[in-house]
Amino acid sequence: MNPSLKLIFALIISLEITFTTHLTGNLLIIFGALLVLAYHRVSPHKVTKLALITLIPAAALFVTMAFFSPGHNVFFAWVLVSRLYCYVLVGGAVTLTTDKLTLIRSLEQNCHLPSKFAYGFLAALNLVPRIRQAVVTIRVAGQMRGVNLHWWSPTLYFKAILSAIQWSDQLAQAMETHGFVEGAPRTVAQPINITKRDWLLLIAGLALIQLVLIALP
Amino acid sequence: MRNKTFHLRDIILLALIAIIFGVIYYAAAFVYNGLTVLLTPVGYGPMANDITMGIWCMAGPLAGFILRLPGAAFLGEFLGAAVEMFLGDQWGAANLISGAVQGIATELGFTVTFYKLYNWLTVVLTSLFATLVTFGWDWFRNGYSHFAPHMLVIMLVVRFVSMLVFSGILVKLIVNMLVRAHVTKG
Repeated sequence: MNPSLKLIFALIISLEITFTTHLTGNLLIIFGALLVLAYHRVSPHKVTKLALITLIPAAALFVTMAFFSPGHNVFFAWVLVSRLYCYVLVGGAVTLTTDKLTLIRSLEQNCHLPSKFAYGFLAALNLVPRIRQAVVTIRVAGQMRGVNLHWWSPTLYFKAILSAIQWSDQLAQAMETHGFVEGAPRTVAQPINITKRDWLLLIAGLALIQLVLIALP
Repeated sequence: MRNKTFHLRDIILLALIAIIFGVIYYAAAFVYNGLTVLLTPVGYGPMANDITMGIWCMAGPLAGFILRLPGAAFLGEFLGAAVEMFLGDQWGAANLISGAVQGIATELGFTVTFYKLYNWLTVVLTSLFATLVTFGWDWFRNGYSHFAPHMLVIMLVVRFVSMLVFSGILVKLIVNMLVRAHVTKG
């Protein structure tokens, strides 16, 4: 399925289940998301890890709702737990099956995301390892002077932001010297199309979700 | 700052700031999980969310203070959520929704001052709006509507304090340092 449509579909599902309380519906959505993950051969290890991390907030919500709230509403507690798993698995069904370059290209070509956002964002994402390194360096440099910079120290953020300002200048300049012009028409190396099949899948999917959420208890 | 649109440089900067926050408070994620585990037996597990809420909302106000453009706070927060999504955070695409909610929430604090005021009052305003809007969102998302009233009041107060400390005071301290370094306008 086209990455943009897939993302939009996942966002619509997430929004809808936020405002509905259908346990069966949520369970079916979880099942559907698992099917999608299995179809794309996402490693079960990754999915299990997702499910385990979510156990912590899910358990917290369940305990509070079922034992410490006025109604002791166990049904609603299960709805909330299943809702959390819907978010996580539906989200995973998008992010674990699409690589970021394709998704951003698709957003640029199919959804008319301005290219400065698409490529600016991608350029920044590629700096993640350097930023990690920079944060470590700032901390170590502090320790050498006997200063321990915690995650709540403004100095740590200040120093990291100084590097970020420098990098954003350099990156923007580099992209412009390589011919990137904001708002100029661009040709694409790898066109991403929305096919009839993509639209059909989206419409059928949406219809199915409505059916599940409205018709089932 | 210069003119009223975002340029490539601003967009890269906002995304970089979002990544910095993501990298630094990745280390703080254990705070959230630890608090949740500790608070669950006494029935206050979801409060871990309120205690740490201010931490997740720091990128927005900071972006608003640095770039001083309408939409900067929203974009800072939203790009932060997008970064988290792409780095494989557990909430995946749902991040974009909460990012948008948090973005609108912090943006409102700047909007009511017509993007003219950038002082401690703005700090209080952004924290206040961020608290109210995100709390309203959790009212539906995490079923806060079913909690006991006294618990809701405690959680609302805790969330406001968290917002004020992290996305308010801490952000303002960072901005003050940037102003002293003449990186951004005072």
